[in-house]
Amino acid sequence: MREYETVYIFQSTLEPEEIDGKLETFHGLLADAEITAVEHWGRRQLAYELAGQSAGYYVVAQFQADPARIKPFENALKMDEAVLRHLVVISEGESAVPPSLRGDDEDEDDDREDRDEDEED
Amino acid sequence: MSAFRKSCKLCDRDVDRVDYKNADLLRRYITDRGKILPRRATGACSRHQHQLCTAIKRARFLALLPYIEGYRG
Repeated sequence: MREYETVYIFQSTLEPEEIDGKLETFHGLLADAEITAVEHWGRRQLAYELAGQSAGYYVVAQFQADPARIKPFENALKMDEAVLRHLVVISEGESAVPPSLRGDDEDEDDDREDRDEDEED
Repeated sequence: MSAFRKSCKLCDRDVDRVDYKNADLLRRYITDRGKILPRRATGACSRHQHQLCTAIKRARFLALLPYIEGYRG
């Protein structure tokens, strides 16, 4: 068993129920995997076009799975045209929550302060 | 780009792992054309510069960050 993190980018035209259904199918392929987190980031603007689309529906999932199960899992993702793109990585303990909802950006304005100081010099 | 830093900002903040999903943070470490800033500009230590590099590349793959910004070919 190993800890993984997957980011899915679905076509943004899909209904939430369809996405839930697909996630269930995909996660079913991981057999006895323990799904620790599924975060729906929702519709997001893409930084560049994917398959002619400028927006996608992001979902982040974290799970513990048998490494042997990852290959068939990824193959299913590749075959599904509703998945614009996906990434499977070994989890390093990152949070699945969208950064905009984390509320840990205490010093977001640090850069601007730095620049102000430089100008005084 | 004007702010050249001496100390590693991520160390100052006790960042254990740079998260590739945090595009707002990563955006501060790329140029306005989308290139990864060199260590001499970011002031990041070896560990964090490496993490940033991987994180930015993952974020690009996920269309959270652009590969090139403002290119009209």
